[in-house]
Amino acid sequence: MTKTYQYCVAENWGKGFIDHNESSRITFKGLPGDVWQVPAYNKHANLWIQKVLGTPKTRDEAQAIVDGVITQAQATWDADNVANESAEQKVDRIGDRPVLITLEE
Amino acid sequence: MPDYKGIQGTAVQNFAADPPAPVTGQVWYNSTTGQFKYKDVIPTGAWATGGNLNTARQQLGGAGTQTAALNFGGYTNAPNPTALTGATESYNGTSWTELNDLNTARSVLTGVGATNTAALAFGGFTFVPVTNPVANNESWNGTSWTELNDLNTARQQPGGAGTNTAALAFGGEGPPPVGKTGATESWNGTSWTTTPATMNTARFAMGSCGATNTAALAFGGAEPAPLYADTEIYNGSTWTEVNNLNTARAYLSGAGTNTAALAYGGQIPPAKSALTETWNGTSWTELNDLNTARGGLAVVGPGTNTAALASGGATAGSSGATEEWNAPYSATEIITTT
Repeated sequence: MTKTYQYCVAENWGKGFIDHNESSRITFKGLPGDVWQVPAYNKHANLWIQKVLGTPKTRDEAQAIVDGVITQAQATWDADNVANESAEQKVDRIGDRPVLITLEE
Repeated sequence: MPDYKGIQGTAVQNFAADPPAPVTGQVWYNSTTGQFKYKDVIPTGAWATGGNLNTARQQLGGAGTQTAALNFGGYTNAPNPTALTGATESYNGTSWTELNDLNTARSVLTGVGATNTAALAFGGFTFVPVTNPVANNESWNGTSWTELNDLNTARQQPGGAGTNTAALAFGGEGPPPVGKTGATESWNGTSWTTTPATMNTARFAMGSCGATNTAALAFGGAEPAPLYADTEIYNGSTWTEVNNLNTARAYLSGAGTNTAALAYGGQIPPAKSALTETWNGTSWTELNDLNTARGGLAVVGPGTNTAALASGGATAGSSGATEEWNAPYSATEIITTT
């Protein structure tokens, strides 16, 4: 099956990690765990992965990383309670409970 | 076959490195990389990464411009009861620097201000003993925050517009029995006055913007459910419903004025959004997305609809990531030769 996306792990160091040129040419999807989804078979995406010293991951490897971070975030969210706080007040305070994200092939 | 010199009347210049300030349309040859290049202008905007916040946070306040911004307050990844922060950081276009904290640490507040040396922070919530919307109002002078007269109606996540001497607060969610509100208050540098005008759709968690307390724009939000795409424009005396956002969402950010605005990020529960839309005074048009989807951004983001800043927000937890929007922007393109 032909891949639509490729994945890598790269820490966002800030300014210059993704520049305007790259952003206009590549559809980035930043994911939990410093996982980045970019188009497969794309010259610009490949050059960007080289630039940021990204570690390539298969979709399944990337999925495992994202799942791990979100599962931890869910546990943190579940444990973050204030006495007498309603469910609505909790969402007001810390937002919705993080949900798992399914990565595309 | 005509060559470049035959068409243009000049030869392509040869540089060992890219020229520091090429003009739009200029073509050159980089002898080090062996590439022909030219300077282009891309009319549609794009987001690039900026310096990361020192304190990752969501539901924060913002003010200033893309290259002189201020972020303050919010909710961090620290365990309760220390998750609420009053931390204030200033951005110079490259990196964030920690400055003096808000007097009252709080989240879901709103900030306005034309620069990072003069801002206003109002509303939000604290724990007393549970989530408690507050009316606190603080002014920033470039060095420290000073408590001033409170809002008339305590509220969290109100919309905002203006400066620290002429601001507007609208909408939000007050403590019971107030709940969601469309109440609008005007700040003259000394006190808040409730205006006769109220929003047509009471809501909180909207995006908003506006340069003064007489011209504002509010869009999106929640009541807390359903989500809204509604846009309203304030002309100094009344709120008028205008064309909706293309995609309804809450906890988004806005930058600009009520005739030239940018809406970005947000939440479409349970997912975060990377959507970016621009307002031309009449309607919204979708543009390039944020590189990282997130909600819980500052209600009023620093900058304009052509040079905005997205910092912090909620991803899986609180984020410190910053992105810079520029439209149009100059790009160096490589000419592929065969």
